[in-house]
Amino acid sequence: MKIELFYTPGCEKCADNKDALRATATELIPDLVWRELNVLDELDYAVEVGVLTLPSIAIEGKVVFAPLPTCQQLRRELVKRSGKGA
Amino acid sequence: MTLTIGKIASLSKVSADTLRYYEREGLISPAGKSEGGYRLYDRDAVRRVRFIKEAQHCGFTLTEIRNLLDMRTSDAACCRDVRRVAVEKKIQLEAKIKAMRAMSKALDRLIATCSNEGRPLDDCPILAAFEK
Repeated sequence: MKIELFYTPGCEKCADNKDALRATATELIPDLVWRELNVLDELDYAVEVGVLTLPSIAIEGKVVFAPLPTCQQLRRELVKRSGKGA
Repeated sequence: MTLTIGKIASLSKVSADTLRYYEREGLISPAGKSEGGYRLYDRDAVRRVRFIKEAQHCGFTLTEIRNLLDMRTSDAACCRDVRRVAVEKKIQLEAKIKAMRAMSKALDRLIATCSNEGRPLDDCPILAAFEK
């Protein structure tokens, strides 16, 4: 599963809780691909996946969270997608 | 020093109606009123109107500009917060550009279907495409 966090450098909201979210995703998804993308470096792609505000998290190429979720919200979404029990 | 609405309008090159609209939207406010009841503004109003115009040129809406003006005077905000807002606006503009390019291409396809300008309206392929 591919999870992408779109951010802009210097944005505190973008860095807040990022490591904990990554740890949550790593724990739940064995084939996780976690990418952190500076929107200004990947502008066309950010538009393609529907990023409109920062920070945003896209799962499998579509924005799912904007702003960043709590670890619990991310966990719930990933469990739902992977078909695992809670 | 206080200025009348006409003077502010002339200094900032916007109409008095626009200034009244800005006032209704909470973007500027008069410093007081003259004895005759006319609005009087201070120099900061001129700066705010120029700020509004420049921000509009970058695509910001009046609501967004009000937030930027609030950030300008907020102790809690700093430059990186403003930068994030600017980056978000750029992404939103790019998304609009992408959508408009798609519209333009769709029109290209419709225009290409209508090679005979002399057809009656009943046979117009562009109108027909919209009625699908």
